[in-house]
Amino acid sequence: MTIFYFTLKRSFGSLTNLIFLTLAPIACIFFPAGEAWPALPYGYQYFGIIILFVAIRLTQIIIEDRARGVIKRLSVAPIRYFHYLSQNLFAYFVILILQCAIVIVGGLLRGQELYQPFALFTLYLSFSFTALAIALAWISIFRNKDIAFLVYMSLIFLMVLMGGIMMPLEMFPDLMKRIAVILPTFWFAEGLNWVVYGRQTSNFMLINGVLWLYTLVFLVLGSTRKMQ
Amino acid sequence: MKSYMEPARFVNGWRLLNLGFLTYYWISGEFAAYDFILLLFLILLTSLRWRFNLPAWSVALDAFVCFLYFPYHAVSYYGLALPIFELAQRGKWLFALLFFIGLFVAPFPSAWLFCYFVLALFVGFFSYAYSLNQQQYKEEADEQRKARYELERVKIDLLAAQQSVAQQAELMERYRMARQLHDHLGHDLTGAALALQAHEYVEEPDEAHKLLQEVKRRLKRSTLNLRETVHNATPIAPIGVENLEYVALYFQQVSISFRKSGDLLRVAAYHWGLLEACLKEALTNIARHSDATKAEVKVEAAGSIIRLLVQDNGTVRQSQQPGSGLRSLKMRARSLGGSLSVSGDNGFLLVCVLPLREEE
Repeated sequence: MTIFYFTLKRSFGSLTNLIFLTLAPIACIFFPAGEAWPALPYGYQYFGIIILFVAIRLTQIIIEDRARGVIKRLSVAPIRYFHYLSQNLFAYFVILILQCAIVIVGGLLRGQELYQPFALFTLYLSFSFTALAIALAWISIFRNKDIAFLVYMSLIFLMVLMGGIMMPLEMFPDLMKRIAVILPTFWFAEGLNWVVYGRQTSNFMLINGVLWLYTLVFLVLGSTRKMQ
Repeated sequence: MKSYMEPARFVNGWRLLNLGFLTYYWISGEFAAYDFILLLFLILLTSLRWRFNLPAWSVALDAFVCFLYFPYHAVSYYGLALPIFELAQRGKWLFALLFFIGLFVAPFPSAWLFCYFVLALFVGFFSYAYSLNQQQYKEEADEQRKARYELERVKIDLLAAQQSVAQQAELMERYRMARQLHDHLGHDLTGAALALQAHEYVEEPDEAHKLLQEVKRRLKRSTLNLRETVHNATPIAPIGVENLEYVALYFQQVSISFRKSGDLLRVAAYHWGLLEACLKEALTNIARHSDATKAEVKVEAAGSIIRLLVQDNGTVRQSQQPGSGLRSLKMRARSLGGSLSVSGDNGFLLVCVLPLREEE
């Protein structure tokens, strides 16, 4: 578990990271509720965007390691790449779980209307895993962390816009609505809708299942060992 | 072969195209959002195949997921093209034909579906043949490389054996000459010396005359033996630097100036063999590829090296890679611990440097 602890320390190592990882979820608690849309307060509707940003911010440690040759040195150390990756991801998961817990508990304490807080927490967790897997697959393509981050910002914007997190999907033409289904953000938005209006638990489980399928796909794609 | 021509890339490219087509078909059709899960499953299985080498039976998972979605939408029938391709590209195309049953249960006209399946089967079979051929070529290339390495090793062994044989021959010749001098010349000279010592003490003239005759006879025989030994030891054909001079002298195409310096007697026989081959190769190259009118050959023994230099005043017409002759000579020079370098920048220039053996 040395890598796990070390990754946790590194994640909170810089002041920017510390602010980003702690203040961003706290800020979400204090966002007001919308009038007609969204049904959840803005902070909880847009928390998915923060999760996507946090995920790419956290996984930059891996791209840094690759650039500094740590991965190369690990290949000659008595440790498997699987252990390195799993312990890194586990540390990121822990951070994201804490963030999700802060947002939900904070919302409840402040008296925000969260409809089904436990379901919302579960959805946030599932989407956190998906976001981490997407970020992992994304950084496996790039060598430079700044380029990876900048391009990913544009991608996040497209994903949240087309997926129905920032704007209701009903505003889009039919073709765009169908394309939106391909995006994981669509399923997150579906999950948020279920938290507010949903009745059948099977639908919610299906939404979470789809997010987990996305997680598996992107984990498989992003788990390739790249030396440089 | 460049990496983008690898069969694995071709296979992954086809998988991606397949998934792209299925996604496009799903978007353009009137299917429910939850039906997209079928595509996600197929994407997951394909990405697992891209990442790991899944066994052939894993196509049953694809087929099973497609089968579950048969009643709901047509994408599931087209999804069967994936297991067909996977089986065909593993050489199990007969099993792949089983999935053509999907054609008969499809609730829509299946002409396009049939074409799609046939295409998947054909591309899968093509990938299989491509991989097999590449594997075969790789094995052949490996065998040829192995044979070349073995040949090079044998060459090096032969060169080492040649060096050893030359050394042994030299020692045998020394031994033969020493034996000859000891057995014949030595005895006669010792006898003559004893007879001369005895002559000092002999008082009778007849006896003294006899002794002198004996000395004379022995010295005459020794002279004869010495002449025979020297005659037998002198080679008829030119050897060593004389042979190099001989080669340069009788080369007709260009006029050659030959110069030699240093103690050339220290150069071993196997060195001369290589230097002669170098000189002949250089002169042949000058005759074939250069427009030179003059050439200079220098043989220098200095310190612990022997150096052969061949330089002409022409321009080399072809600036190509060294031929097999020069490559072989380079290797022979390396095996003797020396080097051979060729330049065509300012006329043809060949320099061969070999280390001389320390005196034993």
